[in-house]
Amino acid sequence: MADKKLDLLQGTLDVMVLQTLSSMGPLHGYGVARRIEQTSGNQVLLNQGTIYASLVRLQQRGWIAAEWGTSDNNRKAKYYSITKRGTKQLATDTAHWARLTDVMARLLAPGGEDAK
Amino acid sequence: MIEHSRELLARLRSFFRKRERDEDFDAEIATHLEMLIQENRQRGMSPEGARRAALISIGGMEQAKELHRDNRSLPQLETFAQDIRYALRTMRNNPGFTSVAVLSLALGIGANTAIFSLIDALLLRSLPVRNPQELVQVQMTMPGAPTPSSFSYPLVRALSDQSEIFSGVCGFSNDVFDTGRREAPEPVTGTWLTGACHEMFGLVPVAGRLLTREDDRPGAPSVVVISDTYWESRFGRDPSVIGGQLAISGVAATVVGVSPRSFTGATIGEVSHIAVSIGSMARALPDRSSLLEASARWLQVLARPHHGVSREQITARLAVTWPSLVSVAIPDSMAASRRRQMTSTINVIPGGTGWSSLRLRFSQPLVVLMAVVALILLIACANIANLLLARATGRRREIAVRLAIGAGRTRLVRQLLTESILLSLSGAILAIALASFGSRFLVAMLSSGQESMIVLDLNPNWRVLGFITSMAFGTALAFGIVPALQATAIGPTHAITGTSVRITGSRSRLGAMLVTAQVALSLLLVIGAGLFLRTLQNLRSLDPGFRRDGVLLVEVNGRKLGYRGPQLTAFYHELLQEMEALPGVASASFSFTTPVGKGQVSQRIAVSGQSVPNEETLVNLIAPRFFETLHTPLIAGREFTPGDTATAQGVAIVNQAFVRRYFQGVQPLGQHLSIVGQANAGMQVVGVVQDAVYESLREPPPPTVYAPFSQRGGNSRAVFEIDTRGSLAQLVASVRARIQPKSPGSPIRIGTLTGQIESSLVQERLMAALAGCFGVLALLLAAIGLYGLLAYSVARRSSEMGIRMALGAERRQVLWMISRDAIKLLLGGVALGLPAALAASRLVSSMLFDLTPSDPATMLAATALLMFAGLLAALLPAYRASRVDPMVALRYE
Repeated sequence: MADKKLDLLQGTLDVMVLQTLSSMGPLHGYGVARRIEQTSGNQVLLNQGTIYASLVRLQQRGWIAAEWGTSDNNRKAKYYSITKRGTKQLATDTAHWARLTDVMARLLAPGGEDAK
Repeated sequence: MIEHSRELLARLRSFFRKRERDEDFDAEIATHLEMLIQENRQRGMSPEGARRAALISIGGMEQAKELHRDNRSLPQLETFAQDIRYALRTMRNNPGFTSVAVLSLALGIGANTAIFSLIDALLLRSLPVRNPQELVQVQMTMPGAPTPSSFSYPLVRALSDQSEIFSGVCGFSNDVFDTGRREAPEPVTGTWLTGACHEMFGLVPVAGRLLTREDDRPGAPSVVVISDTYWESRFGRDPSVIGGQLAISGVAATVVGVSPRSFTGATIGEVSHIAVSIGSMARALPDRSSLLEASARWLQVLARPHHGVSREQITARLAVTWPSLVSVAIPDSMAASRRRQMTSTINVIPGGTGWSSLRLRFSQPLVVLMAVVALILLIACANIANLLLARATGRRREIAVRLAIGAGRTRLVRQLLTESILLSLSGAILAIALASFGSRFLVAMLSSGQESMIVLDLNPNWRVLGFITSMAFGTALAFGIVPALQATAIGPTHAITGTSVRITGSRSRLGAMLVTAQVALSLLLVIGAGLFLRTLQNLRSLDPGFRRDGVLLVEVNGRKLGYRGPQLTAFYHELLQEMEALPGVASASFSFTTPVGKGQVSQRIAVSGQSVPNEETLVNLIAPRFFETLHTPLIAGREFTPGDTATAQGVAIVNQAFVRRYFQGVQPLGQHLSIVGQANAGMQVVGVVQDAVYESLREPPPPTVYAPFSQRGGNSRAVFEIDTRGSLAQLVASVRARIQPKSPGSPIRIGTLTGQIESSLVQERLMAALAGCFGVLALLLAAIGLYGLLAYSVARRSSEMGIRMALGAERRQVLWMISRDAIKLLLGGVALGLPAALAASRLVSSMLFDLTPSDPATMLAATALLMFAGLLAALLPAYRASRVDPMVALRYE
């Protein structure tokens, strides 16, 4: 059962990570997590550890690349950046999410189709 | 798709670089943590507070690492590797249990594999020819005959002409050819073939060419094809051999080519080194020309039908053409035989596995043995299951703790099964070695007493390997699943509460069920062993109507020396005189065939004054003193004498069965007989002898007519019988020294009547020996199972025993208590096993002799033996229970 919840979250999280890297350029895991929290207006209660599951998954699919670098305050950190294929995937996912949210919005709107 | 395989590859890489990836991620997540702490500190938190908050944000370091691992690697594979490591450790830590389990599995799986390899080699393996699955075997079964007959050469030729059905027809039969110089011939196993054989099989020569239809034509030059192995072992692959000459029985033949290495003939169980074309060679060899005649039925037939012609269609078409085909092939002079062959049943069966005379004799025994060893394996599995159950009780704490800290039950069951599978696989690997030894031993056993060594291809193929693999996994499930389910069927809360948790009730119930099943199965096997042992014993103690021991048999073939007709008989009589003069000879005679020997002949015998019977009567041609030599009592009249020459009045001796059949209430002496279809074949009955076994010990003596060799013999080999007074070995030496020189170029064959009878009992000996061994093994396994269960229950109940004894129970009572448990288990097993044995023994009734499948003596003896062995096994635990010291037992609790 716990697995199922995670599945749903995974899909969502992967798109968020891709979008973040696409708009912000290379970031380390902490940066990605902070960025998602900020953008969502802290509405997403993010278990920051799960970010790394998403990152390694995206990396293994070849949608993002990783490289060790040095952070602003001289710490060794792994930086992630989106790849060409990742950008393509993001476009597909964005279209998918747009359609899905559109449908959901219409379905859930008060006085929707049924009321007509 | 590409994404998926890319990801899978990446995961696989991560799986093998676990440590590297772990360290990498440790560094990454550590940085993350530090950054979070720093941020929290900047917000004004205390050092501890900042760290705590950071850890909460991350959601736990270990959880993050675990999640990372699951997402980058192959969790199932990782779990599996973990299970294997764990199982290996458990196995190492319990060397006693591991070795007992692995060894018994190795024995069980090994025995199964050995017998399966034999079944595979004898019944299932395809010939190494082109598209073997297309081949068919044509069988002709004469009316009333129990088994199919062989085909004559003219009949195979006629069958070959059915070109609208078959693209090729092959008639073949193995033989031993004397090759090389006449003075020192080398016997080599080879095959007589019709010309189309090699082409029909689709063989490609290694060198030269193979036999063709042209070679089968009358007048074609004599040619042979040798096998690749023979070319190598005999001629060192000398290319000049091809095109050269090879003498066969002194007749020169041209070696035209070498057949492929994998092909050793279509007869399974023998290896053929020379392929000889019947059409040319049988004419060239003086003593083999009769092979071309319609009266010689000696060939097997394999054929390749045209593409798309089914076996049903072949059968239907042959049914139509068969009578005309037979009438073309068989001359008018053989009217009776022709009619029988015309009305024969024609069967067309798959032929891709070749042909073997061994199948008829050994298929059923092998299938029965397969069932026996499968039962043995089941009994062994029950033992291991019981051991695992006992051990699971010991591991209950550990398992409960693991359940309590969150391990899933499926996960634990999987882990326990992994251990079972590892045990089975280790057993199976050992089993491969055992099986290859075992199957070779079995083949040697089948070969004992055969004329030539049986050669079977026992190299493991995919079928045998598949069999071993499925055995390994099958047994792992069989003995592993129940203990695994049982072991994990505890609530986590129980465990922690400690030793007082007992699920022993269901554990010992299960154990008792297993032991009961073991007892039942082993009773089945012991009864089977008893039946086969008694069969062999009955056959050995049967009075065959002649003397079994101390009779030497010497086979001489005067035809090969060029003698014919009266000279041949004279030659044999001359040899007989030589033999009678040898020291240690009580009496000697010779005959066409010997009891339970090969080459039985039957003819239609007419009794004057009665209508000509339809059935044939067995006939043997014998010299004077035959019955004296074999110690068969003469009931009335006389034996043949040297006076019964070819020119004297034709005479005959009949046995009691013949008298009962034809001379009911009539004085047999002086009656007249004649052989139907033969001129000058009138015979007057001059003697009656007691019945004696003829073809087989299993069959009651049939009506038999004996005629003088000198009057009806003429053209065949002869077997001399010598009744010895002294040492057989000495006599063998002097026979060889005196008689062999008289038969230059044709080795005489010396054996004993005892040996001949024993070799006719090879199937019965095989079954008695193997069923006996397996019966003992089953008994042993069941006893061990019973012992294990009782010993365990005594150990577990030692405190109970202590209390009982403290309260005044006597040793005797405790002893009885345990023995009663054992008896209950044994009786339960017997109650199940006896009906099962009754049902199963009916299936083998055709293999028994002179006893019913439900032979009460065997059943009773087997049950008694089982009870005895069981009680013996119970004795030690019962004794131990009665020696429990109440104080020690109570303190222990």
